Amino acid sequence: MTPVVECLVAFLFGSVAGLLMQRSRFCNTAALRDAIMFKTYRNTKAMLVAMMILTIGFTGFMSVGAGHPLQFDVGLNTFAGLFLFGIGMVLAGACTVSTWVKAGEGNIGALWALIFTFVGMFLFSLVWSASWWPPAPQTMTGQVNLPALQLGFANAQTLQDKLGVPAIVFGLVQTALLFALYRGILRRERAQHAEHEKHQKEHQKKKAAKVATVEA
Amino acid sequence: MEFFRKTLDPIIALSAIAVLDIFMFLLMGAWTVGGGETMMTGLMAQAVLGDELQRIPFWNVVFPPHADYWKIYISLGMLFGAFVGAVLSKEFYWRVPRHLSEWILITIGGLLMGFGIRLAYICNVSTFFGLMPEMNLGGYLAMSGIVAGAWVGSMIYKKMLEGDV
Repeated sequence: MTPVVECLVAFLFGSVAGLLMQRSRFCNTAALRDAIMFKTYRNTKAMLVAMMILTIGFTGFMSVGAGHPLQFDVGLNTFAGLFLFGIGMVLAGACTVSTWVKAGEGNIGALWALIFTFVGMFLFSLVWSASWWPPAPQTMTGQVNLPALQLGFANAQTLQDKLGVPAIVFGLVQTALLFALYRGILRRERAQHAEHEKHQKEHQKKKAAKVATVEA
Repeated sequence: MEFFRKTLDPIIALSAIAVLDIFMFLLMGAWTVGGGETMMTGLMAQAVLGDELQRIPFWNVVFPPHADYWKIYISLGMLFGAFVGAVLSKEFYWRVPRHLSEWILITIGGLLMGFGIRLAYICNVSTFFGLMPEMNLGGYLAMSGIVAGAWVGSMIYKKMLEGDV
C-alpha cells in the first residue's frame, strides 16, 4: 500500500471509530476511573468485550503469520510511562481517545488537554535528547538488557515460535481470563442491583408505616 | 435517524470498532493514537523552529517528522467522526471549563499524558487494543502501570472533591 492509501484507510477507520465513540459516550478513562471510584462498569465492560474479540482476532491471525504486530523492546519505561499517563488521564478527565472525540463535540477543555499532551511530548523529546533512554528503536535488540532496564520483546508470536504451540491457544487462555473478569463484573452489578432494590423496599415500608402512624 | 437520537450501547460500539481494528491489524497495524500525536508534535515543532529542530536528537533519531505517517490520520479521523456525530445528533456545542482549578488539572493531566506516552513508547489505546490482544509483554507492563496510575489519580481526585487538597 502506498503511504497515501494508508493515510486514507487510517482516516476512514478513525472517522468510524470517532462516530461510534461519540454516539456511545465510550471513554477509556471512565472505564478505569469509574470502576475504581464509583464501582460502575458501563465502559469497563465494553473495553473487556473489545479486548476479547481482539485477542481472538489478533492471535488467530498471528498463528498463521498474518498481521502487523507492534515490535519494540519494553521495560521499566513501559510501566513508568503508563503510570504517569494513568494519573494524567484521571486529572485531565480524558485520555488519548476521548480528547479527540470530546474536542470534536466542541469541548475546549479536551482541546486544551490535547495541546498540553503535545507540549508534554515535546518536553520528553528534550529529556530523551539528554538521556538517550529508553533505547531508540534502532538500538533495540529484542533481548533482556538489564543495565538499560529493558526486558526485550515477547508476544504471542514469539511464544508460538519458542514453544511450538499456535498463538491462538494462548489467545484463548487470555480470552477466558478476560471473560472471567467480565462475568465477575456482571455478578457484582447484579449484587449492587439487588442491594439497591432492598434499600428501596425498606424505604417504601418505612414511608408507609409513617403515613399509617400519622393517619392513626 | 434513530442512530443519532439514542445513545448507542458502548458494547456494540466497541465490538464494531474491534472488528475494524482486526482489519487494521491485517493491513497496517492495530489502532493507536500516541504515535500519530508524536508525529503531529514533531510537525508543529518543525513549523515553529524550522531547521533548529535538527539540534534535538529525538526528532532525528526516534521520530523524524513526516506528514504522510498514517497514524496521524486515525486521530484526525476520530476528530472528524465525532464532530459529524455530534452535529447530526445536535450535541455539538462549545463547552468551556468554568473554574481555574479545572484548567490547572487539565494542563497537568495533559502534560503527564504526553510525557508518559513518549516515555513508554505507547499510549492507552495501544495498551488495551493493540499490545494486550497481541499478548505483548509490554501490554501487561503498561496495563499494570495505567491501572496503578489511574488508582493514584482517582485518589488525588477524590481528595480534591472532598476538599482536602
